[in-house]
Amino acid sequence: MTLFILRSLGSRARTAISEFSYERSRRSRLSTKPNVREEGLKSETDIETYLDPLKHPDYFKVHELFTISDLFEARVHYGHKIGSLNEYMKPYIFGSRQDHLIFDLDITARHLRQALNFTAHIAYQGGIILFISRNAQMAHTVETTALDCKEFAHTRYWRGGIFTNSQCIFGATTRLPDLCIFLNTLNNILTQHTAVVEAAKMNIPSVGIVDTNCNPLLLTYPVPGNDDTPCAIELYCKLFKEAILRGKEHRQKDIDQ
Amino acid sequence: MIPIIKFVVRNSNYVSWSSSSVTANGAKVLWPSTLTVSFCTNNNDSEKKPSVKKTSKAMKAYLERARKHEEFIKKENLEYQIGKRHLANMMGEDPEFFTQEDVNKAIEYLFPSGLFEPKARPFMKPPEEVYPPQKAAEFDEAGRPYHFLFYTGKANFYKLLYEVVENINNLNKYEDRMIRKHLTPDPTQAMSMIGSQWLPQDVLEHRLVEPLHESQYAAFKLAFDRLVSHPYSYRVRDFIEEYRKPLVNQVALQQIPEPQYDENGRPYVTTTNCLRKRSWAEVTVRGAGSGKISINGQGLDYFAEIQSREQILFPLIMTKQLKNVDVEAKVIGGGPSGQAGAIRWGIAFCLRSFVDKEMIEQMRLAGLLTRDYRKPERKKPGQAGKRKKFTWKKR
Repeated sequence: MTLFILRSLGSRARTAISEFSYERSRRSRLSTKPNVREEGLKSETDIETYLDPLKHPDYFKVHELFTISDLFEARVHYGHKIGSLNEYMKPYIFGSRQDHLIFDLDITARHLRQALNFTAHIAYQGGIILFISRNAQMAHTVETTALDCKEFAHTRYWRGGIFTNSQCIFGATTRLPDLCIFLNTLNNILTQHTAVVEAAKMNIPSVGIVDTNCNPLLLTYPVPGNDDTPCAIELYCKLFKEAILRGKEHRQKDIDQ
Repeated sequence: MIPIIKFVVRNSNYVSWSSSSVTANGAKVLWPSTLTVSFCTNNNDSEKKPSVKKTSKAMKAYLERARKHEEFIKKENLEYQIGKRHLANMMGEDPEFFTQEDVNKAIEYLFPSGLFEPKARPFMKPPEEVYPPQKAAEFDEAGRPYHFLFYTGKANFYKLLYEVVENINNLNKYEDRMIRKHLTPDPTQAMSMIGSQWLPQDVLEHRLVEPLHESQYAAFKLAFDRLVSHPYSYRVRDFIEEYRKPLVNQVALQQIPEPQYDENGRPYVTTTNCLRKRSWAEVTVRGAGSGKISINGQGLDYFAEIQSREQILFPLIMTKQLKNVDVEAKVIGGGPSGQAGAIRWGIAFCLRSFVDKEMIEQMRLAGLLTRDYRKPERKKPGQAGKRKKFTWKKR
């Protein structure tokens, strides 16, 4: 079945897919456990590396935050129709059903784990995190999430130059966010959100939920998944909030010591 | 060409960074290099503890400015309070009960000004009214903003909209609980929007210390209208009323004078400065009368035209006081129409003291109490009259 999908997606996609580790066994692909390969402790020096947050593969244990069945129940695997598929999203697609695209949740899970890990590290280092969304239905949820984890949100019309021309917009030298989390990367008129480009210009890393009609290229940590269904967005908000809170908890602990 | 920053994902499952990757020191963020957040891991002495906060010069300058403004306002307030007490002593009043109105009167007395524009005359007001409100420091020493919506640019305004939605959601949950208990909203507590309007845009801008666009003000009204339309909106009455301005009933505000009593014990009310067009009138209405009307010593036949006579009689007929009161009027200037109009307004204005509130409201609706401020327009040079032009010649 996978061969059929590979053939239908084209040669460029095939090479892309092969990059993303298809050497796993079929059984492990179908399992719902998160696929984290933790390297065994080989020597004394390994213990040291594990104590260092930046050398640990998953210092904040973000892999415990969700399972693939959680993603499935939150409808994260639903994409849009084949006609609106962005070329660069092809590696993340499992297939389609009645013209509706389905994300490969194994790939999504891996990307999501990386994104959550990165978010937790930024929070650990005391960075400013900005949640961005242009979905009017979920704007309140996103703002509440930001408020709960004491970070920042922007769910309104994006004035051009907030990052690139901040001196003019805010009137004084301001500290820009250290991470932008996009709950959806498209704005209301279905063009890419200006903040994606601005963050890239200002070297601000970005985490973003990319749907089948989105362009993942400018995002540092794209997370392929559904960005329209409320329960999916609520799940993302919950996960990012958890990751940030964990990072902050560790920060506080390490400062107190 | 937009630089694409990609972090290399090696075969092992954790993220590592190449040496040419992002560091805050190398990155072109506006937050300068004194902030020591670093992600380099290739060096062995990488920090295990989170980095220490440092402040930049620009940040220090900003915080300094915000602090100075606060101190300035405090100092000005102190000076104002002391000055008010001095003023009260000068005027021989009690400093404890010296209000802003007394201050204004005192300043007008001590510093008489011949200037026409009221705003140009000397005044003494608390500094909050004089100096435009400035936002306090919006971020702390580490550069982290205090407000969670700081990056929108209009934090206070969008926080307000957020609170409205929060209230709507809470009211929805409450309504669900009530429905499950088979209860309905209390009709006696329903909020009435009559007699008040939403805060005007300039007042809202002053309160939020943020300039607002028309579309944003419209969004504010829309959000609040939505909140008010909820059946349980009375539960958040306090929140709504903060942003509601009562429309003042001008008629209710006016103080209707009590009639004075003359030697015969008859009540009377005098209104001077009854103006209409070029006429000036002074009207006295005496109660316990028999319907006598005297204008400049003459009766109703002072006016040759019937229309002028009808104008004068109309307020008396409407209030049914024709046989109950005597009217004495003194009128100068203008023509019959202007004089009649002036006297009519004077009579109606005096009759307020002899008549109940309902009738006053009816008089107001009839237009008897409205001052007609229209004055004759002047003739302009180059024209035959006010509007009439000279004959237009094509060539």
